[in-house]
Amino acid sequence: MNLTTFYLAVAGLILAPLLGGFVAGLDRVVTARLQSRMGPPLLQPFYDVGKLMSKVIAPASHWQGMFVRWALVASLASDVLLAAGADVLMCFFVQAASASFVALGAFCGNSPYSKIGAQRELFQLMSYEPVFLVAIVCMAKAAGGFDAYTIMAAQSQPLLFKLPLLVPGLIFVVLVKLRKSPFDIAASHHMHQEVVRGVYTDYAGRDFALLEIAHWADVTVVLWICSFLWATGPLQMLATGLVTLLVALVIDNISARLTWRHMVKVVAPISLVLATANLVWLYLE
Amino acid sequence: MSFLNTSQIKSPWLMHFDCGSCNGCDIETLACLTPVYDVERFGIINVGNPRHADVLVVTGTVNPRNAVVLKNLYDQMPSPKLVIAVGACGCSGGVFREAPNVLGGVDKVIPVDVYVPGCPAKPEAIMDAVVTGLGKLKGILEGSK
Amino acid sequence: MLDAYIGLLIFWPLVAGLACLVLKSPGVRSALVLSTGAALAVGALGVASQAPLTTSPGFLSSELALHIAEGAAFALPAYFLIRGLMEKHVLVILFALAQLGLAAAGVLAVPAAAPAQAAVFCDGLSLALVLVVSLAGSLICIYALPYMKHHEEHLHLKVSRQPGFFLVLLAFLGFMNGLALSNDLRIFAAFYEATTLCSFLLIGHDGTADAKKSAMRALWMNCMGGVFLHAGIILIQKQFGLADIHEIVTPALWTGVSMLPIALLALAGCVKAAQLPFQGWLLGAMVAPTPVSALLHSSTMVKVGVFVCLRLGPVLEGTTTGRILALAGAFTFFATSALSLGQSNAKKILAYSTSANLGLIIACAGIGTPVALSAGLVLFVIHAATKGLLFLCVGDLEQTVGSRDLEDLRGAIAKNPVTSLAAAAGAMAMILPPLGMLVGKWAALEAAAANPAVMVLIAVGSALAVVCWVRFAGTLMSGKSIEGPRAHVSSLTSTPILAMLAGAVGLGMAAPWINALMLGTGPASVLASGWGLLPGLFVVAMLAWIIGMKVLGRQSTVTLATPYIGGLPSREAGSYVGPLGRNWTLSEGNEYASELFGESKLTKVAGVFAVLCLLALLGGTLI
Repeated sequence: MNLTTFYLAVAGLILAPLLGGFVAGLDRVVTARLQSRMGPPLLQPFYDVGKLMSKVIAPASHWQGMFVRWALVASLASDVLLAAGADVLMCFFVQAASASFVALGAFCGNSPYSKIGAQRELFQLMSYEPVFLVAIVCMAKAAGGFDAYTIMAAQSQPLLFKLPLLVPGLIFVVLVKLRKSPFDIAASHHMHQEVVRGVYTDYAGRDFALLEIAHWADVTVVLWICSFLWATGPLQMLATGLVTLLVALVIDNISARLTWRHMVKVVAPISLVLATANLVWLYLE
Repeated sequence: MSFLNTSQIKSPWLMHFDCGSCNGCDIETLACLTPVYDVERFGIINVGNPRHADVLVVTGTVNPRNAVVLKNLYDQMPSPKLVIAVGACGCSGGVFREAPNVLGGVDKVIPVDVYVPGCPAKPEAIMDAVVTGLGKLKGILEGSK
Repeated sequence: MLDAYIGLLIFWPLVAGLACLVLKSPGVRSALVLSTGAALAVGALGVASQAPLTTSPGFLSSELALHIAEGAAFALPAYFLIRGLMEKHVLVILFALAQLGLAAAGVLAVPAAAPAQAAVFCDGLSLALVLVVSLAGSLICIYALPYMKHHEEHLHLKVSRQPGFFLVLLAFLGFMNGLALSNDLRIFAAFYEATTLCSFLLIGHDGTADAKKSAMRALWMNCMGGVFLHAGIILIQKQFGLADIHEIVTPALWTGVSMLPIALLALAGCVKAAQLPFQGWLLGAMVAPTPVSALLHSSTMVKVGVFVCLRLGPVLEGTTTGRILALAGAFTFFATSALSLGQSNAKKILAYSTSANLGLIIACAGIGTPVALSAGLVLFVIHAATKGLLFLCVGDLEQTVGSRDLEDLRGAIAKNPVTSLAAAAGAMAMILPPLGMLVGKWAALEAAAANPAVMVLIAVGSALAVVCWVRFAGTLMSGKSIEGPRAHVSSLTSTPILAMLAGAVGLGMAAPWINALMLGTGPASVLASGWGLLPGLFVVAMLAWIIGMKVLGRQSTVTLATPYIGGLPSREAGSYVGPLGRNWTLSEGNEYASELFGESKLTKVAGVFAVLCLLALLGGTLI
């Protein structure tokens, strides 16, 4: 590993969560404007995390702090892997580990809402992970390699033209990871409170703040991978990421939450079939 | 003020509990969330989980049955926390304070920081109460340094 | 010296087993088992220090050995036939007769094959199996000592049946070592049948109606596997006159020739590895005592199946047979992972997961490229350690809690923290990077680059496996505080468990080196192409471990917050104070989604598809 990669890795470690925080702030402002309101200041997520950091509260289980730290390390590691141009599949698996830790910590408590959230989180994992995996495999096949630099560099023509059927699947993944309707099934994103806060119910105070930061890191990774679809230059990647975010926000505002059964039986198989069709088409070419 | 202290003022997460209200004050409280009044400008989010809440907004009269829940919710909130009693019923029991099952206002069970009179209280008054409460919190944070 | 090590590996367990049968005192038995562990470790490390190697020890290459092997090809099916007649089990009788018929044909109708050039051929794959059998197998036998004592107390047996049990258990280790090392297909087949015998005897050990039924089912299915194996051997004997495994698996031999014998051998491997549609025998085998499940039905015997397929890997590379085998393996991985999600019986979850991971290894074997084969080997070794660990833990938890249903094991961490945590760690080791199982899956996924259907099936199967194991670990760690009435765990139970855990983690760390060893590349390229990430990820994981332990230490001393249950107060974990001021208990259960993952429906659907795959496998070779 040379020095440039090292600097990029460090930059990824520090900047990626911050970028995710700005994305979260942008998310809330744009949502508010879509709802004809003013909305909070752009830096609101940072104030939220600062506030949560300064709260003192007893944990709901002895293990949750440990799982939160592991989830945070895993999310940041997935960012570092992408920034350093490493294998995108491994980056995905590391991020999936982070999601597993969050669900595990939720199992350890005693609140029924947390338990329901944990069970639903598992079904969400089951639904979005195959689609995301197949999407990454498609990108690797189209670009000729699994590591991030190869995918970002193979850009005479945007990958989107070879991978059109991935778009529904990737939008599904983005909605799940951003915890947006219709797929905020496991965590009942604020205002919708169906299972209080689902998988996040037991986490509070500093643990919850760290989970927020891990969430920002996750969002950055997912949007970055989505931006591989049009990676002809850094500005184009940023634009693609923002467009994906905007599409997710619009869908969030116009839809109600789906049930996990519908997600597992209908949405996941359809997106998977589309992504697989794209993969097979790439092979047949 | 340090960033952490500023954050506590700029990000008050609200939990709303209806003790036994006629829902008049509740409708006005929830109206604050709508685009017309838009409390999210102040960073306020309505959360349902006391473990995530900073401000407890209580409406309605307190009776022995819901006193238990009210106390429990208050205890489950992390400190520092604010309590806002909304409406005549929340402040003192309102027209129902002589009823046999009514203990009185919210302050019979938990310490209240801001009282919002009205029947129902107006959304502007409720938002003003939150801002007043935050000012009080600011004072506490500055004082406790 | 080498011959001495090999002799130690094969014969010491047999002798120790016979001694266990004759000398019935528990103290002597413990000494014999521990000494076997030591002897096997010595033998395995001795062989490992000189591998790769070929040699011809007298006891495997002599005429006598070959005659014994040929005799076994008659004697063992004859015994199965007798047992089938005793139980009037049609399928056992049928397949035992078929095996006898094939054995007769092998002697009479086909010219004798040339003797193998070297009786023992030990490369990376053989060594891996020997190490797994000797190290993991010994640990499991040690674990079996207190387990069987407790098991028999629980059953109130007047006369201990442990002597016979340990005879078969230890002899099995010897047979497995022989199978791993022998280069002569006939001796290999004899050991293969011997393992079928051991499995049959051990599954039926408890003698209950369930046990007998499951033993019969395992017997007829494995006899069917034996039929495939012997049919393949006879065809090879007729076509090439060869019995030397090393010569048979050269790709040059099979150019332009029908791959039917190879397909039959692979099919025999699939039966032994409990692939769809043959997974029924493994599910039934879960009635046996836990050491049997851990040893035979997760770590070693079922590995014989994947051992055969991996051995055939070089021949399968680039062929239609290989591609169809890879598809069959990947489909099993996907379907049995789905089946494991509908299960609440902990041992059945483990059984389905075993079948799934073996399917993944067979998929690697079917792809056959060196990269795929080494991914398969990494999975092979690490799965043995991790799944063995999980079985040992589930066995101990079953004895502590009294049930093997996951719903009853909820919160077991309060009763049996060491075992529960080891089980949770094992569950997480199945799915987390940078530990070995995930690394193997990642390598398999990248090795399957030429085969989109296989890739998609692996992707879906791996997501389903994540759900299964997170749910498993979460249920064990659920909701109680760390304090609680503790069960007493003997050190003969906890030492093997912790040793297996250390092995699983350690092997995961060594995965890049195992991979490089199989690929035969030099030390420079150990960390090439993505494997270079792993040491870094391990460092990050260790850092996270230290931070996590610090926080755990801090948080375990504080009083926990009362859980949020709609605002109602809660006096003790798992209950709330509700109407009438009374304590109401919360009941909790996992969502098994049986309309999606229900065993009966899914087995039928998956079974049909699997049968079609295997028919295509055979049919493809005939065209």
